[in-house]
Amino acid sequence: MKSKEEKVKIITEEYIDDGEDAEEERQKKPSKVPRQKRKKQLPAASREEMVSENSPVDDQQEPVQEGSDTRLLGMMSRRGPRSLPPIPSASRTGFAEFSMRERMREKLQAARSKAESALLQEIPTPRPRRLRSPAEKESETECGMELDREVQRIQQEHDSQGHSRVKFHDSVRKIKSKPLVPPGFPSAEEAYNFFTFNFDPEPEESEEKPKAKNRHGANQEEKEGEEEEPPVQEGVSKTDEEEWLDGRDAEDLLLGLDHAVEDFVAIRPADYESVHVRLQREKELLFVPSRRTVPTYKKLPENVQPRYLEDEGLYIGARPEVPRTNQNIMENRLLTQEPGRRWFGDDGRILALPNPIKPVPSRPPMFTQAQDIKPELETLYKKAVKYIHRSQHLIGSGDSPGNFQLDIDISGLIFTHHPCFSREHVLAAKLAQLYDQYLARRQRNKAKFLTDKLHALRNAVQMGLNPAKTPKTLETTSKTINEYKSEIRQTRKLRDAEQEKDRTLLKTIIKVWKEMKSLREFQRFTNTPLKLVLRKEKVDQKADEEAYEAEIQAEINELLEEHTEEYEQKMEVYRVTLQRWKAWKKAQRAKKKKKKQEVEEHPTDEEREEPGPGEEPEKPAPPEPVDRAVIEQQVRERAAQSRRRPGEPTLVPELSLAGSVTPNDQCPRVEVLRREDIKRRSLFLKVTFNNKEVSRTESRPLGADFRVHFGQIFNLQIFNWPESLTLQVYETVGHSGTTLLAEVFLPIPETTVVSGRAPIEEVEFSSNQHVTLDHEGVGSGVPFSFEADGGNQLILMTSGKVSNSVAWAIGENGIPLIPPLSQQNIGFRSALKRADAISSIGTSGLTDMKKLAKWAAESKLDPNDPSNGPLMQLISVATSGESYIPDFFRLEQLQQEFNFVSDEELNRSKRFRLLLLRSQEVPEFRHYKQIPLYDREIMEKVFQDYEKRLRDRNVIETKDHIDSHRATVAKYLQQVRESVINRFLIAKHHFLLSDLVVEEEVPNISILGLSLFKLAEQKRPLRPRRKGRKKVTAQNLSDGDIKLLVNIIRAYDIPVRKPTASKFHQTSRSSRTFTEKHAASPTTHSPAHSADYPLGQALVRPFVEVSFQRTICHTTTAEGPNPSWNEELELPFRAPNGDYSTTSLQSVKDDVFINIFDEVLYDVLEDDRERGSGIHTRIERHWLGCVRIPFSTIYFQARFDSQEDEKLLQATEKFRAECALKFPNRQCLTTVVDVSGKTVFVTRYLKPLNPPQELLNAYPNNPQATAELVARYVSLIPFLPDTVSFAGVCDLWSSSDQFLDLLAGDEEEHAVLLCNYFLSMGKKAWLVTGNAIPEGPTAYVLTQEQSHYLIWNPCNGHFYGQFDTFCPLKSVSCLIGPDNIWFNIQQYDSPLRINFDVTKPKLWKSFFSRSLPYPGLSSVQPEELIYQRTDQVAAAELQDRIEKILKEKIMDWRPRHLTRWNRYCTSMLRHFLPLLERNQEDVEDDHRAELLKQLGDYRFSGFPLHMPYSEVKPLIEAVYSTGVHNIDAPNVEFALAVYVHPYPKNVLSVWIYVASLIRNR
Amino acid sequence: MAAAGPSVFLLMVNGQVESAQFPEYDDLYCKYCFVYGQDWAPTAGLEEGISQITSKSQDARRALVWNFPIDVTFKSTNPYGWPQIVLSVYGPDVFGNDVVRGYGAVHVPLSPGRHKKTIPMFVPESTSKLQKFTSWLMGRRPEYTDPKVVAQGEGREGKGSPPWAVGLE
Repeated sequence: MKSKEEKVKIITEEYIDDGEDAEEERQKKPSKVPRQKRKKQLPAASREEMVSENSPVDDQQEPVQEGSDTRLLGMMSRRGPRSLPPIPSASRTGFAEFSMRERMREKLQAARSKAESALLQEIPTPRPRRLRSPAEKESETECGMELDREVQRIQQEHDSQGHSRVKFHDSVRKIKSKPLVPPGFPSAEEAYNFFTFNFDPEPEESEEKPKAKNRHGANQEEKEGEEEEPPVQEGVSKTDEEEWLDGRDAEDLLLGLDHAVEDFVAIRPADYESVHVRLQREKELLFVPSRRTVPTYKKLPENVQPRYLEDEGLYIGARPEVPRTNQNIMENRLLTQEPGRRWFGDDGRILALPNPIKPVPSRPPMFTQAQDIKPELETLYKKAVKYIHRSQHLIGSGDSPGNFQLDIDISGLIFTHHPCFSREHVLAAKLAQLYDQYLARRQRNKAKFLTDKLHALRNAVQMGLNPAKTPKTLETTSKTINEYKSEIRQTRKLRDAEQEKDRTLLKTIIKVWKEMKSLREFQRFTNTPLKLVLRKEKVDQKADEEAYEAEIQAEINELLEEHTEEYEQKMEVYRVTLQRWKAWKKAQRAKKKKKKQEVEEHPTDEEREEPGPGEEPEKPAPPEPVDRAVIEQQVRERAAQSRRRPGEPTLVPELSLAGSVTPNDQCPRVEVLRREDIKRRSLFLKVTFNNKEVSRTESRPLGADFRVHFGQIFNLQIFNWPESLTLQVYETVGHSGTTLLAEVFLPIPETTVVSGRAPIEEVEFSSNQHVTLDHEGVGSGVPFSFEADGGNQLILMTSGKVSNSVAWAIGENGIPLIPPLSQQNIGFRSALKRADAISSIGTSGLTDMKKLAKWAAESKLDPNDPSNGPLMQLISVATSGESYIPDFFRLEQLQQEFNFVSDEELNRSKRFRLLLLRSQEVPEFRHYKQIPLYDREIMEKVFQDYEKRLRDRNVIETKDHIDSHRATVAKYLQQVRESVINRFLIAKHHFLLSDLVVEEEVPNISILGLSLFKLAEQKRPLRPRRKGRKKVTAQNLSDGDIKLLVNIIRAYDIPVRKPTASKFHQTSRSSRTFTEKHAASPTTHSPAHSADYPLGQALVRPFVEVSFQRTICHTTTAEGPNPSWNEELELPFRAPNGDYSTTSLQSVKDDVFINIFDEVLYDVLEDDRERGSGIHTRIERHWLGCVRIPFSTIYFQARFDSQEDEKLLQATEKFRAECALKFPNRQCLTTVVDVSGKTVFVTRYLKPLNPPQELLNAYPNNPQATAELVARYVSLIPFLPDTVSFAGVCDLWSSSDQFLDLLAGDEEEHAVLLCNYFLSMGKKAWLVTGNAIPEGPTAYVLTQEQSHYLIWNPCNGHFYGQFDTFCPLKSVSCLIGPDNIWFNIQQYDSPLRINFDVTKPKLWKSFFSRSLPYPGLSSVQPEELIYQRTDQVAAAELQDRIEKILKEKIMDWRPRHLTRWNRYCTSMLRHFLPLLERNQEDVEDDHRAELLKQLGDYRFSGFPLHMPYSEVKPLIEAVYSTGVHNIDAPNVEFALAVYVHPYPKNVLSVWIYVASLIRNR
Repeated sequence: MAAAGPSVFLLMVNGQVESAQFPEYDDLYCKYCFVYGQDWAPTAGLEEGISQITSKSQDARRALVWNFPIDVTFKSTNPYGWPQIVLSVYGPDVFGNDVVRGYGAVHVPLSPGRHKKTIPMFVPESTSKLQKFTSWLMGRRPEYTDPKVVAQGEGREGKGSPPWAVGLE
C-alpha cells in the first residue's frame, strides 16, 4: 500500500510540472482570451482554477480524453460560439465527474469481473458530498462556496487517488444518482463497445499507464486537450439537462452491464473461522491482564517488607476511589508490561496522589425560599448584555474599565536639513552629525575596550600555555586555548575595523571643517556659530613607539601562527585530495579503456554516467607556505592606515558654538532674504494615536539655528491598545497654509518605561518634498553644488530629528497606568528577540533569575561589556547561590532601614500612643491639646478612661440602671451612637464646595421681583417684620462670650390656689402652654388661711425661673392667673472643654428648664404686736410646672449611603426643591436616615401595627378611650432626642420594633408608632410634620374622626381638636401617609386655618401622583409587634429602689437641715398614686377631700409627678426641679411616694408624689 | 517644670506684611490670622489683625504698601501643625462693596533669621458665568467660609484664580 502511494505521489508531481508547462504554452496561444475574460469576472474563481489545473485531477482525465479525443474536439467546436457560463468551476466539476464516470464504467467492469466486489462495499464512503442532487448543485453558485467546495473536492480526489477503490465505489453511487447522458455523449452502446475494446483488468494500471504514455508520446495532444477543457466543461454545466440525460444513460448502461456481468461472477461459500481457532489466535496476539489480586511481594523489590507509612504516623491523603478489579487489572498490566516497579509505593500499592475531590462542596448551597429573603436582598433579574469583544480593546469584561495613560514629552525638533539651509548650514549639519557620531564613539570607546579584551585574551592564552599554572587536563587546556585563539582573531578584526572607523571619522570631520572654512571665506559671511577646535594631546613618543611595535609584533606572531595552522590544514587537505585525485586518475584511465569497448553497445549508459562532469577532481595545487615578511608588511600597512602613528599627537576635535554669525546688514541680499524666510516659518507637531489626531503642540517659530523648542508634555488617556503613535511635523510659512513635512513614528514604550524614567530619545524623520527657493537657501530635493562650476552635485532632502520621550504614566497611588499585556504585540516582538533581554524573555522574566541567566548564557553576553555590567552582576549574585533570592517581592525594601525604633518600643511610648489616638479621633482624645513633649510628662491616668471604656464595652453594668433591660438598651444605644459617630467623622472630612466657599445663589425671577418690590417698600413700616439674625460663625469665642437669652413674655391660664371649699376647678388635662407635666393643682392651705389669703395676696403670684447649667435666673413676680412679664433673662453659656465648634455645641446635653412657681408669702410673725414695726414674712414658692427645652439644634448632615432607588431619590430632591422654593419655612420631609445610616423614604415607616392586646381590651366599647390609652402607652416610652444621642450628627429614625426594643426615641419615633397603632385600629391617620412649641420642628399625628380632625402629641399622649387654640402644634408643613406625602401649599400653615382634606391638589401637593405613581415600596416595619408582659414583681422592686434613692437625694440636698419623713402621709400617697394612674382625671377632688380629712392640721404642698421611666437620673432631676427640698421651715416634714405601673414590653409609668407638710400651730 | 505643665518650646514671630502687588486693584487692606495645630497655643501678641487701607504708590512699582506689623509668640509641644500665617486681602469693587481680592497662606519660617516670603494670592471663582456676573453686580463675590481654609488641606480641590502676590517680611 505504501509503495503504491509513493508511486502515485511521484506521478502527481510530474503532472504538476506538466500542468505548468501547459499553462506557459497556453499563454502564447490566442485561444486563451475567453479564459482571461472569465478570470476578470471572477477573481475568486481564478485561484481554484490554478489549483485544479495543477492538481492531478485533470491529468487523470487524460486517459479518457485520449480515447474519445476526436469526439470531444468535435463537441468543442459545436459549443465554441456559445457564451461563456458564469461559473466555470462548477462546470468543471461536472466534467471531472463525467470523465470520471467514464473511467468508472471501465473500472466497474473490471471489478465486476472479480469476485471481490463485495469487499468494496465495506469501505466506508469518504465523500458524502458527492450525493448532492443536481438541483442543489446548480443552486450553489456563490464563489466562496464554490471555492471551498472545489478545494475540498480536490482534496478528496487526492485521497481517492490513494484509494482508488473507494472512488470506485463512490462513483457507482453517483452514477445512480445522475442517470442521464447528454445527447452529445456516447450512447450506451458506443460506450460499451468502447470499454470492451479498452478493457483493462487492473484499475491502477488504467490510471497510470496512459499517463506514462502521455508523457512520451502524446504530449501535444494533451496540451490541446487541456486547452479545450474549460469550454467543454462550461458547456456541460450550463446545460444541466444534458447532464441529466447523461446520468440516465449511464444508469441504463449500468443495468445493462449488470446483466452482462453476471456471467463473470463466481459464487463461493463464505469463509468460516472457528471460534476456538480465533480465540487461539487472539491469545497469541492479545494480552489480557488478570483480574486477580496481585500478591504484595510481587510488587515490591525482593526481600523487602511492605512498609505502611500510615501506620508509622505519617499523613497520607485519602486515595481516590478505584474499583478493586480495575486496580488489579492495572497492577497486573504494569507488572507484565513495565517490570521496572517504579509504579508501586513502599506499601505495595500503585502510587497515587491524594483524592482531589473535596468532601464538602466549596460553594455554599443556595436555598431559595421566597419568604425568607428580605426585600433588600432580593435578586433582580437583569437581561444579559452582550459583550462585544474586540481584540484591540485592552480590557476584558472582567477588568475594571481601564484608565491608562501615555505621557508623550515632546521637547523639541532639530532639522538636519531644511530648504532654508544655506550651503554653510549643510556643511554645519554634516559636521554636527559627524561630531555627534564622534562623541558617541568616544563614549563607547569600543577600540579601547576591544584592545583591552585582546590583551586579556592574550594573557589568558599565555597562562593556558603554561602547564605549571593550569592543573587541568591537557585536553581541556588545548580546547580552551583554541577557543581563546579564535576569539583573539575575531576581536582583533573587530578592533582593527573600529580603529579604522575612528580614524576615518576624524579625517572626515577635519575635511568637512576645512570645506566649511573655505566656504565662509568665499561667501564672506558666516551663517552658523559652529567652530571646530582640534586639540592635540601630546604622547610620550618612546613609550608609544614601544607599545606600537609590541602590538605589531604580537599581531604578526599571531597571524603567523594562524597562517601556519592554516597552512598545515591546507596541506592536510591537499594531501588527501591529491591522493584521491591520483586514485581517480587511475580509475579513469582504466575506464576509458573499458568504454572504448562498450561504447557501441550501450550508448545510453554513457549518458547516465555522464552527469557530474563538475565532480571531476582537478589536480590540487599545493598551498603556499607562510612568509613572515609578507605578513609583517601586511600588518604594518594596515596599522599605518588605521592607527595613529607612534609619536603622533592624539587629535581631539571639539565643536563649539562660539563663533559669531555675521549680522544681517553685512550680508548680501540673498542671504538676508533667506534669513527673513526663516523668520516667517513656524512649526508645530500633531500627535496622532492609532491614526487619530489627539493633540498638537503650539506653533513655534523656526529658529535661525533650525531648532524648534516645544517642551510640551501630552498626557494621553488611552483606552485602546496603542497600535501606532505618530508625530506629524507641520510647517507654516507666513500666513499661507500649513504643509505636512513628515511623519515621525514613535515606538510604543515597553511596559517598564514609566514617566520620570524615560530617557529623551531622538527620532529621525525625513520628507520627500521638493522645494526650490529664490534665495540663498539650498532647497530640498533639488540638486546643488558647493563648487563654482556646479560639479559634484548634491541632493538633500528635508530631514531632522524630534527629541521626545514616551512613557507610561504613573497613577496617583504609584501604580503605572499600563494596560495589561495583550497577545497582540507578541508577533511584533519576536523580531527584537535575543537582542534585548527584556523583549526576549519579557518583563516578568527579569525577576526570574534562572530565565535571565539562561538567556545570558544563550546569547553569549560579553561579561566585560560595560553596558552589560549591572546585569552580569545581578546574574552572578543570583546564580552563585551565596545570597538567597526570595520568591517574594518586597515593595519597600528599605523599610527596615527607617525603623529607627522597634514597633514594641513605639507602642510603649505614651506620647506616640496619644498622638495616634488623637489622629484616630478617639472621642476621649479628639480635642486633646498640647500633647506633652516628653513621655515622662504624660500621666497614666490620661488613658484610664479610655481603657476603662474599652474594657467595659461588653460588660453590662446594672449599677446606674436599676433595670437590667434598660442597661442593655443603654449599652446598645451607646454602640449605635459610636458607630454613627464614626461614620459621621469620616463624612465630616469630605467637604463640599459649599462647605468651603460662600457663594451667592443665582437669583431667580421671584427673588429678583421681590427685591425690586422691596425698593418700593416703605422704609419704616408701621409693623416691622422681624429679620432673621445673621448666623455667626463660631471661630474665636471664649467663655462668657455667649449668652443664652430667654424672653419670658406671658402665661395663660395658670391654675390658681383654691379655697378649700370652692368648686372653682378647671380640668387640668394640662393642655396648657407652659405645663408640660401633669401638675396637680396646688391644693391646700390650712383652713385658717383659706378664707382670706395671707397678706391679701391674689389668687396666684406666679414667677418664672429659668435654669441652665445650674445657673438660675428668675423673673419678677406677677399676679393673677394670666400674668405678663415681658422680661429678658440672660444666662451665661459655657461650652464643654471650652470648645466652641459646631459639633461640640451640639453635644451639649444640658437642658434649659423653665419652671413656673407660685410665690406664697406667709406671715411668720409670732407676735401681732410687732406687725406695725416690721414685716416678717416667709416666701414660699410652690412649683406649678415646667418646660424643658433641650439645648440642641437640629443639624442635618445627611451624607450617607442610600439604599433607595436613585430615581426615587432624584424625585425627592426635586420635590423638596420645589417645595422649598414656594415655602422655604416649611420643612418637607421625604427621606430620613435609618439606624444603619441609610437614607430611607419616609413612607416606608408607616404601616398598620398592632398595639398591645390588653390595651385594646381595656375599653372594648369605647374607641375614643382606647385611642387615648394607646396614645398614653406611646407617650410612656421615654423620650430621647437624637440630637443629644448623636451629637450634631443627624436625625436617625428607628423602626417601631427597634423603638420598642430600645425604649427610647424622639418625636418622630413616637409619632410613627402612634400613627401605626391608629392605622391598625382602623383610623385614618397621618404623620404631621411641622413646628410645635416647645419642641420646634417635630412630628405629630393627625387622625380623622367622624366629623373632625384630632391632633395627637405623641410624646405626652394628649390630643387636641383642630380648632383648639392651645394646641402646641403651630404650623403644619407635611402630611405623611403610608403611601404618599402631601406638602402643604396653602397660604397658612397654622392647623386652625388650614384644610386637612388631602384630596384637594390645590391645597396639598402630593409626592406620588399620576406622573409618578406609587412604586409600592416595601415597609421597613416588621409584620407585627410582639409584646411581653412586664414582670410585676420586678416593677415593685424597682418602685422601692426608686423611692429609696429619691429619699436619700432629698436628704442630700438639705445638708443643713434635718429631713423628717411623714410616714403616715407617705403611705396615704402611696395608695393614692395607683388611682391616678388608672384614671388620670376626676380623682382630684376626692383626693383633696381625703387629704384634708387625713391631714387636717398640716399645711400640705405637694405634686404628683408623672414620667415615663428611662433611668433614675431624670427622676431625680424632676424632683429637684420642683424645689420641694428648698423649704426650710423649721418644722417641715416630707412625704414621698413612688408608684411604678408596668405596661407591656417593659414600658413603665412612674408616679412620684412629693410633698411637704408643715404642721399648723 | 512638670508641675507647671508640660515642657514646651516657644516660637516668636516678628515681622510685617510689607507690600502687595495687585496690578488691577487699589485701596486694599489685609487681614492676617494664624492657623496652627492642636499642640500649639499663642502665649503673647495678637493672633489676628486687620491693616489700614493703602493706595498704590505713585512710582513705577505701583506697590501697595502696608508695613503692617506682626508680633506673636507661640508655645508648643510638637512641631506638627507648625503655624501658618493666613492673609486675606480685601478692597472695594466698582460699586464700593468690600470684596475679597486674595487669599494666601505660608508657613512661619522654620529657621530663625530674617526671611522674606512672597505669597501668591488667589480667590475662589464663581461656579458659572451667570453666577460670576450676578456676584459682580451684587458685590457678593464667592469667598471662603473661613480664610483659614486656605491653610488646611481638606476639601481643597479645584479652586483657584489668577495669582497675585503679597510680600511679607
